[in-house]
Amino acid sequence: MRRVRYFIRVQQLREISLLLILAAVIYFFGREIEDYYTARMYNRIATQVALIAVIAVGQTLVVLTRNIDLSVGSIVGFTAFYLGDQLSKNPNIDLETAVAIAVGVGATMGLVNGLIVAYGRVPSIVVTLGTLAIYRGLLVEYSGSQSIQFRQLPDWIKTLPSEVLYENFGLDLRPLPAIAIGVMLVFQVVLLYTIFGRRLYAIGSSPEAAELAGIPSRRMIMLAFVISGALSGLGGFMYLARIGTITTDAARGLELQVVAAVVVGGVNIFGGSGTVFGAFIGVILISTIELSLIRMQINEFWKDALLGAFIMVAVLIDTFIMGWLRALWSRTELRRASSVQKVQSI
Amino acid sequence: MKLLERYPWLRRWETLLFVILCAAVFINISLSEHYFNIDNLANIFHLSIEKAFVVLVMALVIINGEIDLSVASVMGLSASVLAYEFEKGASLESAISYAMLAGLACGLANGFFVAYLNIPSLVVTLAGLIAYRGAARILLEDRSVGNFPEWFTSFALDDVYVSIPTLLFVLVGLILIGTLVYQFTNLRQAVEEGAAFRFRKPGPVGLVLITVLAAVLVYMLALSSGAFEATTYVFAVLYLISLGILQFTNFGRYIYVIGNNRAGAEYAGLRVKQVKMTIFVMSALMAAFAGLMYAARVGNIRANAAEGFELDIITIVLLGGVSIFGGTGTMVGVGLSLLVVLNLRNGMSLRNINDNTRASVIGALLILSVLIPNWAQTIQRFLPRTLSGDNLTLDLENKEARESTETA
Amino acid sequence: MQSINLHVILCAINDFYFELAWIMDSLPQPVLQMHNISKSFGATVALSNVSMSLYPGEVHALVGENGAGKSTLIKIMTGIYQPDSGDIIINGNPTRLHSSAQAQAHGIAAIYQEPLVFPDLNIAENIFISHRRRGFLVNWGKMYRDAKKVLKRLDVDLDVRAQARGLPLAAQQTVEIAKAISMDVRVLIMDEPTASLSAHEVTQLFKIVRNLRAEGVAVLFISHRLEEVFEIADRITIFRDGELISSRPTHEVTREDAIRDMVGRPMGKVFQRQPSEVENVVLSVRDLSHRGKFEGISFDLHAGEVLGFAGLIGSGRTDIALATFGIEPAHDGQIYFDNKPVNIQSPRQAIKMRIAYLPEDRRQHGLVLPMSIAANITLPIMQDYANALGIVQNEKERQTAQDYREKLSIRTPSIDLPVRKLSGGNQQKVVLSKWLNTVPRVLILDEPTRGIDVGAKEEVHRLIDQLAKQGIAIMLISSDLPEVLAMSDRIVVIREGRQMGIFDRATADQEQIMGAAMGQLEMERDHA
Repeated sequence: MRRVRYFIRVQQLREISLLLILAAVIYFFGREIEDYYTARMYNRIATQVALIAVIAVGQTLVVLTRNIDLSVGSIVGFTAFYLGDQLSKNPNIDLETAVAIAVGVGATMGLVNGLIVAYGRVPSIVVTLGTLAIYRGLLVEYSGSQSIQFRQLPDWIKTLPSEVLYENFGLDLRPLPAIAIGVMLVFQVVLLYTIFGRRLYAIGSSPEAAELAGIPSRRMIMLAFVISGALSGLGGFMYLARIGTITTDAARGLELQVVAAVVVGGVNIFGGSGTVFGAFIGVILISTIELSLIRMQINEFWKDALLGAFIMVAVLIDTFIMGWLRALWSRTELRRASSVQKVQSI
Repeated sequence: MKLLERYPWLRRWETLLFVILCAAVFINISLSEHYFNIDNLANIFHLSIEKAFVVLVMALVIINGEIDLSVASVMGLSASVLAYEFEKGASLESAISYAMLAGLACGLANGFFVAYLNIPSLVVTLAGLIAYRGAARILLEDRSVGNFPEWFTSFALDDVYVSIPTLLFVLVGLILIGTLVYQFTNLRQAVEEGAAFRFRKPGPVGLVLITVLAAVLVYMLALSSGAFEATTYVFAVLYLISLGILQFTNFGRYIYVIGNNRAGAEYAGLRVKQVKMTIFVMSALMAAFAGLMYAARVGNIRANAAEGFELDIITIVLLGGVSIFGGTGTMVGVGLSLLVVLNLRNGMSLRNINDNTRASVIGALLILSVLIPNWAQTIQRFLPRTLSGDNLTLDLENKEARESTETA
Repeated sequence: MQSINLHVILCAINDFYFELAWIMDSLPQPVLQMHNISKSFGATVALSNVSMSLYPGEVHALVGENGAGKSTLIKIMTGIYQPDSGDIIINGNPTRLHSSAQAQAHGIAAIYQEPLVFPDLNIAENIFISHRRRGFLVNWGKMYRDAKKVLKRLDVDLDVRAQARGLPLAAQQTVEIAKAISMDVRVLIMDEPTASLSAHEVTQLFKIVRNLRAEGVAVLFISHRLEEVFEIADRITIFRDGELISSRPTHEVTREDAIRDMVGRPMGKVFQRQPSEVENVVLSVRDLSHRGKFEGISFDLHAGEVLGFAGLIGSGRTDIALATFGIEPAHDGQIYFDNKPVNIQSPRQAIKMRIAYLPEDRRQHGLVLPMSIAANITLPIMQDYANALGIVQNEKERQTAQDYREKLSIRTPSIDLPVRKLSGGNQQKVVLSKWLNTVPRVLILDEPTRGIDVGAKEEVHRLIDQLAKQGIAIMLISSDLPEVLAMSDRIVVIREGRQMGIFDRATADQEQIMGAAMGQLEMERDHA
């Protein structure tokens, strides 16, 4: 038991329970739906997860600092359109340049958010609610209300989503999920092993203490927004590759799914705790439920109501049950410590 | 600077808004010959009347130090409940009451989580924004429901022609009745307490309010010859009521006090939780009502009714000088900013500017309405004292800072 | 004039020895020297010409009443404040400290009563969060090992991977200490570190302090508990009213000396209240307890009486007041109002019973700063100023405010001014007006004269006297000992949440009360 407690911390507990819930959900749908465990279903879910997960990673960084970024949906829409437009004008742009364009445009938009939040001292909810509308407006102005058609795009991006990088047991790894997993792993490492990552936790955990400890909070918060924007730009690229046809309504409302996934994935909306991995599982959970509901043909319209309920439940668990668990944990921890001390003093 | 010192009201946010409003109207007039058209002026209100309703309560919510992001979803939900019940064959009257009940339920849920479980309203109402919209989707799926009875739609669509003399007559009558009721209740209290009764003159603030209101009314009346929809009149009445509640009643005072200093309010024995609960219920009920008005105006309802309206609503409130951190702002400012935003939107639509672009202008306005006061504060801190024209304040505040450091 | 000359001479002598020590290099050299430091805030002098030295391997205790200037001195040492005049000399080099980061770089770190940890990070991270030059990546294995090493140096057993959230205060403090020594601290300032620790935890802490001393760290230890000071310190320095009164090795000081040096303030300055006629009991409290805050509190409060509450900051006096006013209701015990048992669960109930509470923190809890004087005064009984429609009657409200402005001589150009613009004393009068307007029968005053100037202070004292004469029962909580002595009929002394006794004013003196508050003299309980 002591060994178990040594390896599993409260934080991990949340991720483990999420995995269990995910398993239960898959088991439930597997019983309800015929031919549920198929490669087709897996691929569908994987592509859907890929897009949301990349953006959720960026959102996680922002939420860790006690902020929120509601403009991600519009950034995805704009970059997808802008990139689609560039690609249809110059079909000889290659993959790397395309990704660089998307990430660059997204990062610029994130920079605007970050500057106003960190240095203008405007609450992030106000800023990003505003830029949500502004970036959408930019998209409409830029597009002149036209759409990007699938056939205008170069061939390489058309075939990109269905390429198979690796195949085993009838399940294949395609580029978009591979990107998502890569991004998730990279930022899991960034959060765990870099000074920048640990400072994000510190800022969200106690802004006052962060100030006293000499952490440049403003710069860190701005960076978090820039990364969120850049990853949304990458999301725009993936959106373009996956959907192909981009209207001015592209990715509208995506921000709500992303925020829901992040919160459900155990990232504390009040900052300071949570992991990219947790958010990733949150995305899988939400996408699985959504797509399975569609597959069940009962009522895909339950999705949003469930999302909202999920957020509330996650927040309630965070405020009440996790606090209680933590207290329990540290108490046993202390009892252990004091018993050790007694032994030593004897 | 001297001028500012002599007339402190010149420094008020409301004054700035009034100037912006005049500028907006002037630009609209010079850019489009249609602006002065009677139908257009009615349209200014007509096309956004639901938002205007919700703005009235949102101002109370934000002054109280909270935020309600779920209003647009509650509007959508109430419209969807109405449509769903109506589609099932219920009478419109019962459908309306179900819709209002749905709004009440949303308000109770929001209020309970915020006031009694102390979860930040931002989180609660963000979840509500998604969940209530989801509930609307469950009800209507992807159907569109319409064909409401005529009496219902006509309430929002048909102009009620009131001649200017009639309107003025009604207005004067209302003011007279209001004054009489006010004086009478004072009289009763005076008699109870054995104090002498005397007629109260309105204070300088009251006079300014009346002047501004009268100016706005005359502006609207003169330009439209009294041709507004019934909803516009309802709005006018609700505006006056909410202005009265916020500016003149003890409930309004509680809203300000709690928004300014929640702990202080608790120490003074105010029922903070009940006040917060009441405000969230009011907000959701008003949103539900606005949803019904939306249904009446648009005529057919889909589950995405009123989606994204929270942007405009919150922008109008913040632009009206209400601080996002709570505690400050007036109904006069909110009313002026409503006119500014509506005029801007109207002007842009006359110039055939795309709806999304209009929204992005509103978004920019939202950010600026918080950013500019922040900047102004920073600049004032760095200005030499003689320039800031507020010597007394600065001096006393410095002294205060010293004292607080002493005690620390 | 003479004393200043004397001071100059003393300083010159001090300088001389300092030079001598430097040249000879045989005497131990102080690691941190404060030289003729003065600091004032506006008209108030917080520190005047203070000189002291900290030597490596020495525990130096700093003792004084609240407001004696200890906190200011610490803030100057840690670079939060800059002195008006005087020098800070670190290892013989005059240095200017502009920020706490700079002080840290010089090896000066401070630990406060309320530790500032990051609750979501684990203990090892908390220890190393401020470290610069750790490179770009976090080497967790090395960090855990280093953290363990640091904790081992302190001889404590804490799981370095445990989250800081939920750790008891003592452990959080240990983490702060570990953070300080991991940064190669040479001067460790501990500001009342024991205030919220249990006896066992204090023993642990002292073990750590002794280890640090053995390693050659200079420890500046601030505490209100004299027995601790005598237990741990090598040298005791006493401050009073911003001046250094005495600084002697511990074995040359007796407890009585220390207390006398701390309180030795002329009594003549304070308004002397005549004892009042005691009427019937209004409020009586029996065995009131609040877990972790106070226990076994019992007293009777008579109409027309001023019952003083003496004790140190954090001794639980405010918590007793909060329990009586219903903000944090007590867990155990009974309150009787007019000899009837009552259960006060909210301030609203208390106000209905006509109990009023003037809070300790007037800006946070007493006032709504941006609102007008009139609005602040009428707040608790707003409903009485609204008519049947709920409309506030401004005339009536202004009349009330006008009355109090005259009665309490609140100095303001207008009652419509936001209270933010008033001075501290006038703000306090507004809070008083607010509660007097509820026509209280019991008035709880929590530090009513803190942070207000002498003139206003005397006005408040006269007002308290008047109110008692009118038959209001008053609980007066104050950390200003002469004030409590001058104003109260009887004095309850609270120490660490326990009632040390009720003293009659006729028989009590400053030393006695201070002794009881610091746990020095065991007095017989005098239940009136």
